[in-house]
Amino acid sequence: MGLGLKWYHFALWIGFIIFMLLMPEMVSKGTLRTIIFANFLAIFAISWDILSGRTGYISFGHPFLIGIGAYTTAILTKRFDVGVEYAIPLAIAMTMIGGTIMFLPALRIKGSYFALVSLAFMELMYQLVQVIRPDLTGGTRGMSGLVTLTRGAVNGYYLSFTIMIIVALSMWLLMRTRLGTALSAIALNEESVKGSGLSPTKLKLFAFMTSAFVAGLGGAFYVHYLGSIAPRALFDINFVFTIIVATLIGGASTIVGPMFGAFFLTFLLEYLRPYLPGAERYLIYGVIALLLYMYQPKGLYQIMINQFNRFKKDEDDG
Amino acid sequence: MLEILIQGLLLSGLYALIAVGFTLIFSVGRVLNLAYGSYIMIAGYVYFYFSQLLGLPPIVGLLLAGILGSCMGLLKYNLIVKPLKGDHIPVEISTLILAVILQSAIILYFGNSAKILLPIFQGVIHIGNATVTYNVLAATLVSWLILIVLFVFIRKTHVGRAMQAVSMDSKGASISGVNINKINMFTWGISGFLGAIAGVFFASYTQLSPSMWVAPLIIAIAIVIVGGIGSIIGTLVVAHIIGFMEIISVALISPQLRGVFTMLLVIIVLIIRPKGLFGREEL
Repeated sequence: MGLGLKWYHFALWIGFIIFMLLMPEMVSKGTLRTIIFANFLAIFAISWDILSGRTGYISFGHPFLIGIGAYTTAILTKRFDVGVEYAIPLAIAMTMIGGTIMFLPALRIKGSYFALVSLAFMELMYQLVQVIRPDLTGGTRGMSGLVTLTRGAVNGYYLSFTIMIIVALSMWLLMRTRLGTALSAIALNEESVKGSGLSPTKLKLFAFMTSAFVAGLGGAFYVHYLGSIAPRALFDINFVFTIIVATLIGGASTIVGPMFGAFFLTFLLEYLRPYLPGAERYLIYGVIALLLYMYQPKGLYQIMINQFNRFKKDEDDG
Repeated sequence: MLEILIQGLLLSGLYALIAVGFTLIFSVGRVLNLAYGSYIMIAGYVYFYFSQLLGLPPIVGLLLAGILGSCMGLLKYNLIVKPLKGDHIPVEISTLILAVILQSAIILYFGNSAKILLPIFQGVIHIGNATVTYNVLAATLVSWLILIVLFVFIRKTHVGRAMQAVSMDSKGASISGVNINKINMFTWGISGFLGAIAGVFFASYTQLSPSMWVAPLIIAIAIVIVGGIGSIIGTLVVAHIIGFMEIISVALISPQLRGVFTMLLVIIVLIIRPKGLFGREEL
């Protein structure tokens, strides 16, 4: 297949999965709940990475996609008594339609302009959700008492981890194919991609759809984990910030990076909780993110690779 | 009808004031400063601190806020924009991170709850059956004054022309002997000052809260995008389009739809005419 897989790839993935599966034995319920959030954040960050990290179409409005997924399944299960087994696939399909809508401006504009349109999409969605049919969406207050899929932290952990690891593994493999390479070429130069006989439009559409698929999946399961949904928390620029920072700290365009970025940040926030209880934690979190980003825009992933290479070089020399 | 006209004019004046600093950076430096909203937030709090907690006269508070905004702009340019060499996307991402950092810094110092800012100018005036506070009226007048001064400054003075040149083609300007670094510093300083002045008025128009930077940032983005790069006239006109659109939708349709039309306008303009209504040929 030409994926360039090495033995240590398998070893690292299997080691990681075993470690994570043993996690409920090692940590408290509270920590486990934290990891559940890290898992969902990882899914969202991977979704952002597929679109923005890869193709360079920076989305400042990713909650637009996540929100479509979350709201669709919430409305279907709560207002129309649709079973979760139908509601979630429908939600994902709706999110992919949303992804296509977001893709339309990308045909004409890119760079900062696209980033702003995506931000406008999110704001529009935020306003509309509260105004259009509040009887369905719950208006400003959102909805609560939604169906939850799991009971207890351990089950929630296994479910969220399973989804996350499936998404991460499949996207990681997908991005190692030639398709993934072509997608990253879009970020560099669309003209050259065209010159190579590939269609940038089709590739971009693929990236938007895949990203929307993952966002919808994550959003739908997230809402059925929380059991509630509120527009202010969802369509929030701080939420965008968390997703983007997780991806960038971990290492954009690597799939593995955003996953670890999400874990790193969630744990950083938890670790700071005893010292700074409220929203002040974002001060330290933000400073670390900013310094790391200015120092190495490619994130922890690249720093680790560099360290590894230096180590290897030393060994070769010695 | 008269009320809509007056309210529309006043709100548009405030919006123009908010957007003009943002336009400057976007035109000259070519980067979107997503931490622009932070000038507005911090200026509001600085004014609150000096004039309401320490009891200094309002005009001193206003000036101190402006100077601090200006310093923030210079720091931001030297510490973030310059090291990143003005790359668009990295600058946008790091300024977004910076905005969240500043928000939490404010929470750390002033707490999370909203605060009411006393009006800078007390009193109301009745025009027809509309009631207008001196405060909002002052914001509008200051906004017009600043826009006119800025317009003349950019057209007539040497530095202003250099700013225009850098905005059109920074390489060409540099070859013609313009010190790009100096012009950029100058622009960031002015932008911070204007943002801070706008912030004090905006804060007294709504209220002080750590998350108050988001709404004006989005307004500024909308105005600049629809107006187009490098156009102060565009900023002024579009501020009025958006201001009136909001007032009309609040008065005639539904208060909740306030922002919807603005966002729709942004999306439509960006797709149909990405360079904006008054912008130069670009992209």
